Amino acid sequence: MNDLTPKKERSGLAKWSRRGFIGAGVLAGGGLLIGVAVRSGNPIGALAPKVAAGEGEQLVNAWVKIDTDNVVTAIVPHCEMGQGAHSVLAQMLAEELDADWSQVRVQQAPTDGSYIVTDTARQFLAPFTMNAADWIEPTWDGLFTQIGRMADVLITGGSSSIRSTGQYQMRVAGAAARKMLVGAAADEWGVPANEIETRDSTLIHAGSGKSATYAQFASAAAEQPMDQSPPLKTTDQYKLIGKSKARKDIPGKVDGTAKFGIDAAPEGVSFSYAASVRPPVPGTRVASMDASKAKEMSGVLQILNMGDFVAVVADSYWQAQQALNRVDVTWTESESAIKTSEDQFTAYRAAMDDAGADGGDEAASKGDFAGAFEGAATKIEAEYKVPYLAHAPMEPINCTAMVQDGKCDVWTSTQVPLMVRTELSSALGIDKGDITVHHPYLGGSFGRRLEGVYAVMAARVAQATGYPIKSIWSREEDTQKALYRPAEISRFKGGLDESGALVAYDNIFTQRNDPAEASVPGIYSIPNTKVRVAEAPLHLPFAAWRSVDHSQHGFFIESFIDEAAFEANADPYEYRLAMLKDAPRQAAVLKKVAENSDWGAELPQGRAKGIAIVESFGTIVAQVIEVDMSAGKPKLENVWAVCDAGYVVNPDGFRNQIEGGIVFGLTAAMYGELDLVEGGIKQSNFHDYKMLRIDEAPNIMVDIINSGDVPTGGAGEPGLPPAAPALANAIFAATGKRLRELPLAKQFA
Amino acid sequence: MRNNAILAAGLLTAALAACGSSEPEPVVEQIVVREPGEPMPVATDEVMAGGKIDRVALGEEVFQQCTGCHNADPGGPNMAGPNLHGIVGKAAGTNPDYPYSEAMASSGLTWDFATLDRFLANPAAYVEGTSMVAGAVRDGEERAAIVAYLASTSE
Amino acid sequence: MAKFTLNGESVEVDADPNMPILWVVREKLGMNGTKFGCGIAQCGACTVHVDGQPVRSCSTPVSTAEGASVTTIEGIAGPEGELSALQKAWISEQVPQCGYCQSGQLMSATALLRDNPTPSDEDIDAAMKGNICRCGTYTRIRRAIKVASGQLPASEEA
Repeated sequence: MNDLTPKKERSGLAKWSRRGFIGAGVLAGGGLLIGVAVRSGNPIGALAPKVAAGEGEQLVNAWVKIDTDNVVTAIVPHCEMGQGAHSVLAQMLAEELDADWSQVRVQQAPTDGSYIVTDTARQFLAPFTMNAADWIEPTWDGLFTQIGRMADVLITGGSSSIRSTGQYQMRVAGAAARKMLVGAAADEWGVPANEIETRDSTLIHAGSGKSATYAQFASAAAEQPMDQSPPLKTTDQYKLIGKSKARKDIPGKVDGTAKFGIDAAPEGVSFSYAASVRPPVPGTRVASMDASKAKEMSGVLQILNMGDFVAVVADSYWQAQQALNRVDVTWTESESAIKTSEDQFTAYRAAMDDAGADGGDEAASKGDFAGAFEGAATKIEAEYKVPYLAHAPMEPINCTAMVQDGKCDVWTSTQVPLMVRTELSSALGIDKGDITVHHPYLGGSFGRRLEGVYAVMAARVAQATGYPIKSIWSREEDTQKALYRPAEISRFKGGLDESGALVAYDNIFTQRNDPAEASVPGIYSIPNTKVRVAEAPLHLPFAAWRSVDHSQHGFFIESFIDEAAFEANADPYEYRLAMLKDAPRQAAVLKKVAENSDWGAELPQGRAKGIAIVESFGTIVAQVIEVDMSAGKPKLENVWAVCDAGYVVNPDGFRNQIEGGIVFGLTAAMYGELDLVEGGIKQSNFHDYKMLRIDEAPNIMVDIINSGDVPTGGAGEPGLPPAAPALANAIFAATGKRLRELPLAKQFA
Repeated sequence: MRNNAILAAGLLTAALAACGSSEPEPVVEQIVVREPGEPMPVATDEVMAGGKIDRVALGEEVFQQCTGCHNADPGGPNMAGPNLHGIVGKAAGTNPDYPYSEAMASSGLTWDFATLDRFLANPAAYVEGTSMVAGAVRDGEERAAIVAYLASTSE
Repeated sequence: MAKFTLNGESVEVDADPNMPILWVVREKLGMNGTKFGCGIAQCGACTVHVDGQPVRSCSTPVSTAEGASVTTIEGIAGPEGELSALQKAWISEQVPQCGYCQSGQLMSATALLRDNPTPSDEDIDAAMKGNICRCGTYTRIRRAIKVASGQLPASEEA
């Protein structure tokens, strides 16, 4: 890795010692659970009834319980939205605990401030506090516990479950729990603790011939002191980590029994159903409502003008939606000057024009761009453009809410349950302690469910009607009234020297969100680099969309590098490799993908390959995509991906995530586009917001490099960013046509 | 100052917002039609209650259930299903811009009141292999109205 | 009153005849395995069988199932609850991610294998292209159908 780091990188983050969260708990004055064993009088004691309700269950620490049948339950703070976090985090805990995997269960941690995920909090919040003085650093762990609580960081996102919660919480919890079990057995048996072996949830003392199940010592273990930093296994000691253990949530997902948010059916509660419609243009409200036709529709109970939305409550969702379709609503006028997609792009171009050759906020810089560009043998310029995108998870937005007797219960698919609770408290005027957020499986999310508004809407309707309400959004509502991956334009200037090497690089764009390094071509050795941001207004509300800023910059940067390779008359793979001379891990990944894809081999007429490499969320991913253009439009044939995430915990689960990221990225590359019309979104459902389907899906071959002793990378997002540029580069290789805009398919219609 | 971490900022804003300033938003208008479990009031919808029926107008309304897949505006797009403007009187499966199933393209049908009525009652049974896998219209009156509406677009 | 057979049991429900089968099954009969995805027969998450034919239950009025036999995801396991070959393959190939679309995927695949015991890639694409998987499990769906039809060996857990 060369020295080009983003200006706004979390300078403190790299220096953190990663002491682990046990120490953090002590710093925070007992704020973190794991630092405190389960004994009466301890704060964690209050958690016991929430998570260990079953008879004979003993909570060993906040993350693990053991029942009388020797079943070990891992209590997992992250939500399960398809990324496999529940199972893989349990796998990490079970590894250190030496638990019998066949007897390990997974439980969703309750929505409780005790379960904030500190390390994820760091990731999300570090940039916010990055200007904190150095003197504060020693207490940052503690600070983050508190900020995390204040900001309700029980988040699943940022591809962080394994690399933060898994590494620094679940493994530590498992190791600490194991040590407590061993300590309890050593006391009882009167033997040295270091003579006791553990395997398959059993304690064994060879010398005395004594053995016992974990269950037999679970209660005594909870009275043992907890090691603040128990030794963790080294890679050569792993029995579960590194193995493709079958996911524990999958059986329920093949027989229809898995419960998603929309399936919430609390016992003894009879629901009414709500359909709702929000304003088509952000920032506007209900101006008038005429419900005369809807009132006559079958099944209708109530029709409500809630000010910021209209809802119909009926005996069934379908009836509610049918009636809602017949409510005539008018909306207030928007003050936004942006009415169409073209308006949005015009605003971007104006901001970049204003910034000129030197202006804008500098995101990263190195060397002397102006001088190097001036003296370059060849100069190239390019402008790339991507549209707004929706997440479109398969499970439509929904929330089941009961607001009765000053208490509120909601069941909803969410990535941010604590934030939902806080928003509910504010909207309903109910104390947080009287609000319970239940969060079953998510039917996909990809960043969509990082907001609380839909839970608040459901609860407000439940409060107004007095009925328990199951609120479901139509697909059309979710497509048109959500949060969005921003549209963007990105402009590049590049200078090549006599040898063709890229020696000057300037990039300006308008939307900067997260992660800070997304726009920085930091893996490449380019001596003179400038990356700038010219701020411009964004009409639709921002959402973190799978891989966030990398979803755009991956396409921009890797397309531009390809253009430079073409100008240099170089092979796009060789050209990149030469620029990775100071990045050995990245170079190894690129070499491997070239080898796996047989890069450079002859292909039939009309076929070609494209290549791209992006590092995101700690994982390096290179892809080669083979496209067939012989029918005059792109047919996706093969994708080879090679990934280095440090050390992969569950290879099959990891591959599944990379495959998914590739399909998600190719869907956006081929079809993804939302158009603004009159300030609102034109597309409404899957017929006009198209998804890649099985007959268009390529073969995908994922290979993994475990480079070992480096921080663990993520899995959910890193597969996505290289897909679009690798495809566009393949189309260029096949046709000579450089496509600088997404989506691609319509450019061949 | 525009921040690097909008999400983080948003989270903190949400947390701070919860600390007091915002009041629960009042309901602007609440129309109670009936309580859960109460029987439905007698339908007063004139169209459904009989009397004079403007079949084309009714058909246009009923056609809304088809608009997820079909557009019937002149020059409107093909969607999941083909554009149906002026379909009555045409040979089946002949819109050049729509990728019909083999079954539909080779059906030899001409769309008139009778064939459309039978097709809409049960598409898969009438043209076995059609890609119209949903959208059957069970109610004969509604079918007749839809066909009347579609016919009106041919005039 | 709608009358039909659901997973082998005869049922009678008081429902608007125009109400789609999806909502009758989910809300009136409490069977939640069948999922709502788009409401316009575009995504396949709601796929059930009516007299053996895969249909999009979100857009099929319950009146069209009058007297018919309806099968949902809850009805494809054997009489003793043993998983079907496809369900087993879905586990051995670790197909689902979020899992939300998989009931519909399995219903489409079940109909495919009944009519075509050894489908080619093209057959699979043709039968399954009505089912969207937003998590992108398509390559695994293809493989699992090949496994269930005996054309590929099942993957083994490491």
